[in-house]
Amino acid sequence: MREMARYGFTLALICLVAAGLLAAVNALTGPKILAAAAAEEQAGLSQVMPLADKFTAVKQGTDETVLYYKAFDRQDKLIGFVFKSGGKGYSSVIQSLTGMFPDGKISGIKIISLNETPGLGMRVTEEQFTGQFKGQNSMDLAGVQAITGATISSYAVMDSVMQKAKEIKELIKNDK
Amino acid sequence: MKNLIKEFTKGIIKENPTFVLALGLCPTLAVSVSVANAIGMGIAATFVLLGSSIIISLVRDFIPDRIRIPCYIVIIATFVTIAELCMKAYSPALDRSLGIYVPLIVVNCIVLGRAEAYACKNNLSRSFFDGLGMGVGFTLALILISAIREFLGSGQLLGHTLVKGFEPVFVFGMPSGALLVIGLLLGLFNLLKEKRT
Repeated sequence: MREMARYGFTLALICLVAAGLLAAVNALTGPKILAAAAAEEQAGLSQVMPLADKFTAVKQGTDETVLYYKAFDRQDKLIGFVFKSGGKGYSSVIQSLTGMFPDGKISGIKIISLNETPGLGMRVTEEQFTGQFKGQNSMDLAGVQAITGATISSYAVMDSVMQKAKEIKELIKNDK
Repeated sequence: MKNLIKEFTKGIIKENPTFVLALGLCPTLAVSVSVANAIGMGIAATFVLLGSSIIISLVRDFIPDRIRIPCYIVIIATFVTIAELCMKAYSPALDRSLGIYVPLIVVNCIVLGRAEAYACKNNLSRSFFDGLGMGVGFTLALILISAIREFLGSGQLLGHTLVKGFEPVFVFGMPSGALLVIGLLLGLFNLLKEKRT
């Protein structure tokens, strides 16, 4: 019995020290992690909508999930929208950020997270593929060529962008 | 001092965790697609190995034998979480490309293996050099495998195209290619060892 108590005490002590240490590291790195994520998001937004000067997030619900972003130019005029979409690729969910003008034309897209086959699916991040989206109608990406040997990854991006664009258009309509 | 250097160097060739002890092969297969991944993973694993070896060696008399494994796991998990948080804060791109494999260092058998086989029986300085040697050995093995895979699989090294017009062999970018490369390198290591004796 006494042995048992000693074991419990030892393990509890180790856990306590570990928890204290982790709390300290978390306090140090927490703000940096948030700042890095925010900076990355801002950089991504201006990359897909280069003309915009300022973005505001349109949020929904109690947990404040971001539905899409409104992009404004220097004169505070609404010039477009930016939305995030995700589609199942070959070995991961491919998430992308799309900038869209009010008429539905795409200003640019950027792949933000994926884990596809190197040399094949990973190539959807290349300009050769993402560059094709510029100027396309977001509802119909017929002008975009899939990458040879990586059609699943390519279509994952295209389908998710088209589907999300439709959803966002509905939302914008209701918003007005 | 000579002994300590030996503790360090044995992890690199004679007892290389990947090619000789054949430990931690799962993360090796998964992250060795690119040299950048391999270096990041190697540094994270070395940090965890070094930290847990030091702490376990320091508290080895304090931990009762029967509950040593849960104690080791808590210590290792703490270092892994520290490594993960630091990576997220200072190198988000690397964190994203390594993904789940950083938290999975907890169950990397090199770390627990060294704790159980070495750090719990040896003093601080020996455990320090053992952990460092094993970490460096693991990192070098990862770099070697990933360099071969990245070059053959995508014609690049560290993201730079080396040979123009080189047609990549896609299988090397996939897990099956990792198995091929590791198998051949293990064979090569065994061949060299046999020749020496």
